Amino acid sequence: MRNGGDNRGRLLLISLIVTSLFLITLDLRGVSVISGLRNGSQSALSPFQSAAATVFRPVGNFFTDLTRLGRTRGEIERLKAANEKLRNSLINRKNADAELDQLKSVLDLAGTAKYKVVNAKVISLGSASSFTQTISIDAGTKLGVRQNMTVLSGLGLVGVVKMSYPNHSLVQLTTDPAFRVGARVAGSQQIGILSGQGTNKAVLQLLDNQTTLKVGDVILARGSQNNRPFVPGVPIGEVTSVDNAAGSVTQTADVKLYANFSALSVVAVVVGAPETDPRDALVPRAPAPTPVPTVTIYATPSESPTP
Amino acid sequence: MFARRFLISFPIFATMFVVQESIITQFKIFGGGFSLFLVFALLWAALSSPELGALTGFGAGLMMDLSPTISSPMGLWTLIMILAGFSISYLGYGDDNFRGNPISLVIIVALAVPITRLVYLIISLMLGGELGSALQVLISLLSSALWTVAIVPLLMPIVTRVHGVLFEEASRG
Repeated sequence: MRNGGDNRGRLLLISLIVTSLFLITLDLRGVSVISGLRNGSQSALSPFQSAAATVFRPVGNFFTDLTRLGRTRGEIERLKAANEKLRNSLINRKNADAELDQLKSVLDLAGTAKYKVVNAKVISLGSASSFTQTISIDAGTKLGVRQNMTVLSGLGLVGVVKMSYPNHSLVQLTTDPAFRVGARVAGSQQIGILSGQGTNKAVLQLLDNQTTLKVGDVILARGSQNNRPFVPGVPIGEVTSVDNAAGSVTQTADVKLYANFSALSVVAVVVGAPETDPRDALVPRAPAPTPVPTVTIYATPSESPTP
Repeated sequence: MFARRFLISFPIFATMFVVQESIITQFKIFGGGFSLFLVFALLWAALSSPELGALTGFGAGLMMDLSPTISSPMGLWTLIMILAGFSISYLGYGDDNFRGNPISLVIIVALAVPITRLVYLIISLMLGGELGSALQVLISLLSSALWTVAIVPLLMPIVTRVHGVLFEEASRG
């Protein structure tokens, strides 16, 4: 009897494994039923995700801030006094204003380069169980968002649309380990390939070994054929360190990405590229030095000195 | 009877899946956070017989494959979860001391979560996926184990009770 039960268990296990292998094979062969299933699940989940984003996003931001407290304690202490006054006035509109700011900066960026964009709200972050880094946004094919379109924030490149559904899209972030983008250095126009590393730093590998990089160089997207997946000129980040190891074939550098991936709430999808390459027009301006006021005091002695 | 009981557990898993995909994904938590659904599925499997563990893994894996935020081939999570569900249930099968001890369950699920994710990573790499920063992967695996240690004691009373109502009492009757 027990032996029969064991056999039944083995048969069940083998059947399930064969079924899963069958699914993998179908998916890798591009059978449309499989992608249809994911479309269906996205459509079913999107109302829940939108509702949860409205309710939990402020709490989510709170947790993000909390987990960063240890690392940024010193900075927080320095900024605390200055922020206190602002926080009181902003507390009621903090969330809305943050989104408005992100929207304004992304429109500024897109307007400078004459990109035609569709704005979208981030409705969920990527899966915690896999190692991919993605976000879901509330704009899809109905608004003209298609696969392989550039996604921006006000600070620069956020990622690329990986899947688009009628009302939502899945965006692969620049930080994703599988992310690759052709990049160029602003000014010198050296070109290379930038790869995501799973953190807010990416690695740039130059294609030409005769050129040199330096810390502070601004990295921009080089642009793709027919402007998809990447439109040209989008700021990506800034070189923070250069690997000058002797014997390396090409020069590599660490690039700190401009976009703040832990506080993304509004992004823009580039649905139309400019007719002309904006070249270096989107390079962030260096902060202007604050002038130090000089105060001159003229003292005039009184005619009758006091006793 | 067994199949009916198994199907009854579907709404519970569906609810957990919706919670995972719509609520948990709103929080950006240290170390990449945690998958409540994965923890729940493995805990459920740990309390089941090997056959039921494999079936649980199959159902849970299928749901994880349907997640719109996952870009791996459909069926990959199903395969891994079948093996994980079967293994975790096989380990404690027939040993009431093991299953009755909450600490053993916490430890086994906390080990199973990063191992399952590691297997997923390895198979993804074999299918052409990317690894990214090894340090980041290590942090993610370790933190998922730590988060699991924190979550399992909270989930365990509910899961044990519901699982008991669905399966153990039915088998007694």
